Amino acid sequence: MYNEEEHDLALTKEQLVSLLGKMLLIRSCEEQVVKIYARGEIPGGVHTYIGQEAVATGVCAHLRLDDAVFSTHRGHGHALAKGMKPERLIAEVMGKATGCCGGRGGSMHLFEPSVGFYGTSGIVGPSILFASGAAYASKLANADRVGVAFFGDGASNNGAFHEGINMATAWGLPVIYVCENNLYATEVPFAMISKSPSIACRAQAYGLPGVDVDGNDVLAVYQAAGEAVTRARAGNGPTLIACRTYRVRAHSEGMRDTGYRTQEEVESWKVRDPILLFKTRLLGQGVIAQAEIDELEAEIRKTAEAAADFARRSPLPDPATVSDYLYS
Amino acid sequence: MREMTFTEAAREGLAEEMARDPMIFVVGEGIGARGGNFNTTVGLYNLYGEWRLRDTPISENGFTGICTGAAVLGARPVVDFMFLDFELDALGGIINQMSRLRWMSNGQVKVPIVLRGGVGVASTGPHHSSNLFSLFMHLPGLRVVLPVFPADAKGLLKTSIRSDDPVIFLEHKKLMNLKGEVPEGEHLLPFGQASVVRSGKDLTIVAISYMVIETLKAATLLEKDGVSVEVIDPRTLAPLDISTILESVSKTHRLLIVDEDFSPGGAGAEIAAQLMEQGFYELDAPVRRLNGAFVPGPYSPPLEAAVVPNAQTIAKAAHDLLVE
Amino acid sequence: MAFEITLPRLGWDMVEGALASWLKQDGEFVRAGELLFSVEGDKAIQEIEALDSGYLRILPNGPQPGGEKVPVGTLLGYLVPQEQLASFRFPGGDLSDSPKQEAEAIELAEPALVTSQEQAGAPSGDGRTRRIYISPYARRLAEGLGVDWQMIKGSGRAGRIMAKDVEAIAILPKPEAPIAAPSSIQPTPPVQPVMPASALQPAFSAARTVMSPIRRKIAEHMAKSAHTTAPVTLTSEVDATELVTLRKTLKDDAASSGQAVPSYNDLLAKLTAQALLEHPLANARIEGEEIVQLATVNIAIAVDTDRGLIVPVLRDVQTKTLRQLAQESAALIEKTRSGTVSYEELQGATFTITNLGMFEIDAFTPIIDLPQCAILGAGRIMPKQVVVDAGAGRVEIRQMMFLSLTFDHRLIDGAQAARFLQRVKKFVEYPYLWLVG
Repeated sequence: MYNEEEHDLALTKEQLVSLLGKMLLIRSCEEQVVKIYARGEIPGGVHTYIGQEAVATGVCAHLRLDDAVFSTHRGHGHALAKGMKPERLIAEVMGKATGCCGGRGGSMHLFEPSVGFYGTSGIVGPSILFASGAAYASKLANADRVGVAFFGDGASNNGAFHEGINMATAWGLPVIYVCENNLYATEVPFAMISKSPSIACRAQAYGLPGVDVDGNDVLAVYQAAGEAVTRARAGNGPTLIACRTYRVRAHSEGMRDTGYRTQEEVESWKVRDPILLFKTRLLGQGVIAQAEIDELEAEIRKTAEAAADFARRSPLPDPATVSDYLYS
Repeated sequence: MREMTFTEAAREGLAEEMARDPMIFVVGEGIGARGGNFNTTVGLYNLYGEWRLRDTPISENGFTGICTGAAVLGARPVVDFMFLDFELDALGGIINQMSRLRWMSNGQVKVPIVLRGGVGVASTGPHHSSNLFSLFMHLPGLRVVLPVFPADAKGLLKTSIRSDDPVIFLEHKKLMNLKGEVPEGEHLLPFGQASVVRSGKDLTIVAISYMVIETLKAATLLEKDGVSVEVIDPRTLAPLDISTILESVSKTHRLLIVDEDFSPGGAGAEIAAQLMEQGFYELDAPVRRLNGAFVPGPYSPPLEAAVVPNAQTIAKAAHDLLVE
Repeated sequence: MAFEITLPRLGWDMVEGALASWLKQDGEFVRAGELLFSVEGDKAIQEIEALDSGYLRILPNGPQPGGEKVPVGTLLGYLVPQEQLASFRFPGGDLSDSPKQEAEAIELAEPALVTSQEQAGAPSGDGRTRRIYISPYARRLAEGLGVDWQMIKGSGRAGRIMAKDVEAIAILPKPEAPIAAPSSIQPTPPVQPVMPASALQPAFSAARTVMSPIRRKIAEHMAKSAHTTAPVTLTSEVDATELVTLRKTLKDDAASSGQAVPSYNDLLAKLTAQALLEHPLANARIEGEEIVQLATVNIAIAVDTDRGLIVPVLRDVQTKTLRQLAQESAALIEKTRSGTVSYEELQGATFTITNLGMFEIDAFTPIIDLPQCAILGAGRIMPKQVVVDAGAGRVEIRQMMFLSLTFDHRLIDGAQAARFLQRVKKFVEYPYLWLVG
């Protein structure tokens, strides 16, 4: 468990600002998505990443372009953190032809192989298996690429979690499992469907290290992820990182957010907003000035707005293409 | 030309491909040092070791997903389920992920994976006897391959491994020891090319998987009665070579489809519908289907005999079609 | 730029909602995240937080709290950043002009047609009441070979006509294209049959015509009779001298000139009817397993017309006088020849008489007209030398005529039929016997 006192990280200002910038980008883009959704301009559903930005940012900061990331239904943050361009994300979510998948997939089926992002998924669990498989391919090719799986507390109870982690550990695969425990699988609290004291402790059953991390502390995530990636690249096998975090919005946009949690609980997590916390720390330690933060925020907000604007102006896909790419 | 069994021919094909491409690896229960329950990988572990002949725990959905991820990232896995029945555990991933990844990523991602499994009733009982051909034929994105003769097993397995699409490769248990001639040298067969195994003029019979063998026996019986049967082995159901079947029916004007898998909704229903749509004016009688009985695969021999079409029942169905 | 406040979408299929109430005052500063207004959605009232910070400016002519439902995305107001507050103006005039209001409609594309299916042409009915089943290939083959398949008896299941049935009755094709199909039949791609080199050369260059409905009907009827009955024909040469005298007398009767003169057919009809009363078995029919004895005698007279053989029916002959019969038969024959005879007038015969005497025919083997069981054929009447007294060696010239009776041996035995014919002979030779009634 990491806490503030151990923040002795030899990170440069540039690195720290990069982390902040990435979290702000995710937040801004997601805010655009929320607005676009509220206007009725998204054909389907979206699950925003607001409140969990530190996890994607802290992990992906260690990844190369050729490392493979597999994500889950709440994957916009992972996509952006891995390097997908905001306009490709927003256009896809709006079902436009300029989206990363030409509008075929929408929010839950985002792919950007050129930056090593191999997909969000509408089914939870497979990301664990796919990341393990990507790691296997890396070993076959004698490369040092790693696979990273993002998934939630819900997926940790799926067979894929147990089968995949068991096999990856048995075979020593270079993969990192990042579980974002935001306390609810849709609206079902973890404690109601499992007697495991934590998700990290399940690692013991399969013989790999399991680490509990404060998922709203980007530097804590950064530290844990860095160690896991190093282990994997060195050929020492997988790691399970369980990040405790929270989503302050409903499970999916437009859903009512009441009945399964209290407003007090939500508020208690809002004051622990990862971006707020990080800004406060950076300011407090004199790493950055408020004016710089304001400037950074304004710039990022512009980028997000421009991406949203691009997406809105983009055309819808041509129905004649619907059968393309079915077979090789 | 050399003669070898179906299993030996398939294995030769696998071995040739593995020698050619280091990213091909086989995954399954007991396919490592043991060489596979059906001897599919005998001798390969000593050549290539554990990373390419990977023994798995009983985690069908798990290792299928792992292989999907590996395929996406440039490997070419061959998943050996032993029995199709075990493969069913992975059906969620096969349908939701494997068959759809290329399409939903707008062509950015591919899944070059081969899923092998034994099919058919062979005193194997309800959990080891599935056929389910039409289930897979129904899914966009998948190839469905079911060779009968050893030469075809080799040629189609090689093509399946080289294909960039996910392939369901189904091998009937009763074919495994079938002997046949296998050509020397590189032998590849394309998908979507049916084989006219026997020429005839009175009636066309399309037979699927092992039923080709029983149909050939039936054809010999029918010949004694002066009936000349044309037997077609489709070899792949997706893609399906409907032109060869149409061409045959333009000659014979009657079609019988023999399939051990049950109906309703068997592969024969699709073939019959396509024939009706595209060859209506060639038909002198309705298209008929002879399927396995609509029950799970039984264990005891007399029950099996009642369920599975054989040469006699096929010949009778052919006779009935000729006079109706 | 001020931030828009719009009616949000709460749930996938929500398309409209009502503003319930504002939770902040117009002009008040709102921080992002604070509750700003509430909306009445499909299910209940939901409180909505502000997505941006700014001073609330409620749209003056926008949706009113507690008012009607408006579409998702409708503008409700603005959150104006401090620095823009002074210069902020609501978009003037028509709100629909505002570029922000051009909410892009998400057009759901028409589902793309990914498979095409050829429509199989259905053969149209040809107006016949009887349904004929033929396989698509056989029909194509028939049209290619120029065969009228509607007359073929099919050997397939449920009487379906199959290719081999067509081939069995096909005439070899001419080298030219086959005749055009009647317009009632849908065009199907005709089969161009491949004839082996050893096939007979198409040497028949006779003209072709399609069979008329009458001809078709006759053909069918005749074939059925030939295949169903067990026909046996008895012939008997009878002395018709008295009959000839009778007819001449009737004809020469000046007092009844202008009235119909009974013809030989009328005379034969009357005397046959009388004979049938004594030999009813010849006035019966087989129906399934039963023999049906008919209660009256209706005699069909075969009439030759230029459209073929037509057989009008004289009814209840046993009850009618010769004079009546003469009138009726004359009328029927006239109608028949002029084509105005009705369907009913052709129905219901229990026995048939057919006369080929005018063609110099003596004896012949008439075909039974099913469902009748017998038919009487009359040949020419001609003078012959006949031995009238063998003992005395006396020969006379008498008017002689052959009668040919075909009977259905299923129903009638030879002796029975012979006795009937013998009686008819008697009546011809001694008219007084039946004239008395």
